[in-house]
Amino acid sequence: MKKPKVAFFDFACCEGCQLQVANMGETVLDVLGLIEVVEWREVMSEKWGKKVDVAVVEGSITDPHAVKRIKKIRKRAGAVIAYGSCATIGGVNGMKNNFPLEDIKHYVYGDSHRFFPTEQTKAVHQVVPVDYFVHGCPVYIPEFVAVLKAALQGIPYYPPDYPVCVECKLNENVCMYDRGVSCLGPVTRAGCNSWCINNGNICYGCRGMVSNPNEKGAQDVIAKYKIPMELVLNKMNMYNKCRELD
Amino acid sequence: MEDTHYVVLKKENFDQFISLLAQKQKLVAPVPKGFKSFAFEPVDSASQVALKYIPTVLPLKKYFMPQRETLLEYTAGKGVKAEAVVEYESLTIFGAHTCDLAGIQCLNMVFSERPKDYNYLTRKNKITIIGLECNEYCDEYASCNLVDASFPGGGYDLFLTDLGDYFIVHVNTRAGDEIVASTRSFDKTELSQLDELRKLRDAKRKIFVNEVPIETKHIPELFDRSFRARVWKDLEARCLACGNCTNVCPTCYCFDVRDELDLTLKNGIRYRVWDSCQLEPFAKVAGGFNFRKERSVRQRHRYYRKFRYPVERFARYFCTGCGRCTRTCMADINLKETLNELLKESEDRVWKRWL
Amino acid sequence: MEKMVIKDSSYKLEKAKILRTKQLTDKEKFFEIALGNGQPLDHEPGQFIMISLLGIGEVPISVASSPAGRDSFDICVRAVGKVTNALHKLKAGDEIGIRGPYGKGFPIRVLQGNDLLIIAGGLGLAPLRSLIHFVLDNRRDFGKVHILLGCKQPGELLFGDELEDWNKRTDLYYACTVDRADPDWAGNVGLITTLIPGVDIEPARTFAAVVGPPVMYNFVIKELLSKGIPERQILLSFERNMKCGNGKCGRCQIQNLYCCQDGPVFNYEKIKNLSEAM
Repeated sequence: MKKPKVAFFDFACCEGCQLQVANMGETVLDVLGLIEVVEWREVMSEKWGKKVDVAVVEGSITDPHAVKRIKKIRKRAGAVIAYGSCATIGGVNGMKNNFPLEDIKHYVYGDSHRFFPTEQTKAVHQVVPVDYFVHGCPVYIPEFVAVLKAALQGIPYYPPDYPVCVECKLNENVCMYDRGVSCLGPVTRAGCNSWCINNGNICYGCRGMVSNPNEKGAQDVIAKYKIPMELVLNKMNMYNKCRELD
Repeated sequence: MEDTHYVVLKKENFDQFISLLAQKQKLVAPVPKGFKSFAFEPVDSASQVALKYIPTVLPLKKYFMPQRETLLEYTAGKGVKAEAVVEYESLTIFGAHTCDLAGIQCLNMVFSERPKDYNYLTRKNKITIIGLECNEYCDEYASCNLVDASFPGGGYDLFLTDLGDYFIVHVNTRAGDEIVASTRSFDKTELSQLDELRKLRDAKRKIFVNEVPIETKHIPELFDRSFRARVWKDLEARCLACGNCTNVCPTCYCFDVRDELDLTLKNGIRYRVWDSCQLEPFAKVAGGFNFRKERSVRQRHRYYRKFRYPVERFARYFCTGCGRCTRTCMADINLKETLNELLKESEDRVWKRWL
Repeated sequence: MEKMVIKDSSYKLEKAKILRTKQLTDKEKFFEIALGNGQPLDHEPGQFIMISLLGIGEVPISVASSPAGRDSFDICVRAVGKVTNALHKLKAGDEIGIRGPYGKGFPIRVLQGNDLLIIAGGLGLAPLRSLIHFVLDNRRDFGKVHILLGCKQPGELLFGDELEDWNKRTDLYYACTVDRADPDWAGNVGLITTLIPGVDIEPARTFAAVVGPPVMYNFVIKELLSKGIPERQILLSFERNMKCGNGKCGRCQIQNLYCCQDGPVFNYEKIKNLSEAM
């Protein structure tokens, strides 16, 4: 059997998710046994430019040039995997949408702003159809591998639609709320195996919210920790601002 | 009480006892995790063991039906080459409270009901259980007396009661006898020691009273009156549907079944993983219709699965009064409060009928 | 952790082979299947099986053929999820895994000697086809037989050639309706409930068997009750997302009942007060 051709692309992002994939270590060898990587700016210099079976896309779409480029990629890809919060939910780039575009342009590019057309931040699926989502900032490698396997099997992958708390309890972590710290686990989509909490950190909500979160209830819970509501909302929007465009 | 069934473990022999147990096979016991949290974890010395502890984050079910367990191993591709497997290990559990023993008794009933679950039953038979009595309440969240779980009611091989300088130990099974014989840490009981046990139990009967003002046997009737209670609606706004209450519950056993291939895509496993009726997708069917869409309805389902439905099927409550669901709920949904509110609402209705 | 093979596991799979497939509609595909051991499935009309595609997953599917007279059995699968879509890609000769049959089907022994009013909405015809075939194979054991069929549009009608045959038969009453007609449709237009007032039945000796989408039940039951059919003679089969089939995983629970063991066929009297049923 011919190995499926896979290409990696990036848009507005920190390229941290690519780094996670590049750092997979032994797993990467096993995965590479299954695929042929034809394009990947971060790790190889070759450019393929033709049809690929799977396009793995990192980063959000933030300007007209990116819109054109992602549409071209979509056309030559059998399946598109959006990976990393920037690509799947807009992620921290979404904070741009808190401000008028004109202000943003002036602030970033000063007098030269007219040479840099910009747009509201969008997740990849808000511009072109996406077949697979690997949420997270950065992506959780076991989930990335699971999605890659699903793409190669030609079957869908459904990210869990329940909160991080579920995985966190299965890992028997001491709850952050018992430590007196607020945590976005209760409204954030699982699939990361409560990676951050396993390592002593809180959940920042990087995977986006579950499809029907009890946001009001969660705000009430967090507010009990004497955190001003404005800050609570900011916390919730840090990764999630782009959902307004869904 | 037949005194031949009791032996004494002096506190000075406790260290030796735990060490010997740990040498025989894997030993797990409650271990402090900070922030008033405890967990059953492997131990090899008495110094690691918390003798006074509030119910652990996860109950003992994690050893009987692990969070994730393989059911089937197979080769993918053309043809069906699959074998049903069970993963198990020989294990001694030390320090199980009566609420957790009750939890295992519930699960035993569920998984030995036909069609039997041999994964559970195989694993169960490899586990030795040593119970530990609560001389007083662990904290204000417990409601073990309400469900008859505050005194030992079987389900253990050995059962220890702390009586100051010594534990008095009930030997309940042959496996328990063998531990007593092989660890040689035990002494014969004296009549005065049995008397002390009797006194402790009498004192406990004064401390442990129904935590909610209802007679235990009347609980099913309360729930028969409460299916449309306002109380459930009130939970709609508060519940975050995080599933904590069911994951930490000693008698919640719902699960999902999933497939996973290895990296070569050639071999795979089918495994089950804990699931929860509190989660949005749980009661969804293929067409997208959700039979328990509202959080209030899902919460109600949880309570009925503890206090009403199992009464018909298994003739016992599936709440063990451990209080875990209340402790773990960041929205402060409190089992005792819910029951109190149900009672109040139900009484109000009775009064209204009179007026 | 040690591991061993368990022979009596309830998750053990039987091998089965696809003998024949037929695309029925855009979404629905028919499969004729035989167990690898050559034995008949030994099911009752209304029971379901768990179908396994290794590496993808397992789904509950109703058996769509009569238990009598043959070693193979039929299923009709709508492509809606991961497993069912993958199942649609399979063809004759492919192997699948089977568990079951599970649950309580239609109470054949009770139905014999009585009249039947069979009401199928959409894919609900699949489990009812099992009952219909059984009844037609043993036609003289039953009284009058009515079959009412409904679906959204003509293109979604399943088993078209069989429907024609039922329509021609003089030993049963058959009627069909669609919610929305297309230009070629000459039959009834309207919800399935519109067919019920027109059937001529003796309610005391009539058993109704109803399977369809969740929204259908309440309306159909109302019509059946107004026809005078006793509550315990209204038989309903429910769809739930069973994962184990053994009354353990909790997925299919309807209050205190497990759809996979206590059902999927229930009589209305038993479940009428269960708000989670419909």
